[in-house]
Amino acid sequence: MTQVAYVETTTRTTTEPMPASPTSLVDLLDRLLATGVVLAGDVTISLAGVDLVTVQLRALVSAVRPGVGADR
Amino acid sequence: MSTVQTAGVRVPGVLPARIESDADSIERDLMRLVLTLVELIRQLMERQALRRMDDLDDEQVEALGTALQHLEQAMTTLRERYDLTIADLNIDLGPLGTLLGCG
Repeated sequence: MTQVAYVETTTRTTTEPMPASPTSLVDLLDRLLATGVVLAGDVTISLAGVDLVTVQLRALVSAVRPGVGADR
Repeated sequence: MSTVQTAGVRVPGVLPARIESDADSIERDLMRLVLTLVELIRQLMERQALRRMDDLDDEQVEALGTALQHLEQAMTTLRERYDLTIADLNIDLGPLGTLLGCG
């Protein structure tokens, strides 16, 4: 059975076929690095029961050589 | 600003939604956050280096290999200092699998 993961972009939806065995996101990211990937993470840090800060991280990660590793 | 196009792919949920900490665990909890990000970048660097090998000369390949080995060792040392395994850093993203590979 083929598992398909949907990774949404701001302008279009891309489907990437995933192997049947469990894989890590870093494997998927590696293949998408030729195009560039925005990693979004929001984390609230609570200290001694008191919510103090929410950090919203956005990291644009790309391969230095665009096109290297892009799946045809 | 570089000329890298920003029409990339958004991957949400890379970080845990909440970090509940206290005086005793705050240092380790923040280090876990930092080391998760560094480990992600380190694993991406390893994979990108593999993809570039055909374009590089022997000297560059060897230098890259040595540098990546040092980086992996540095990460291991940092993790051990805070008693963190790769599994501790890993984040379960449900249908997307886990964040990190095996290293």
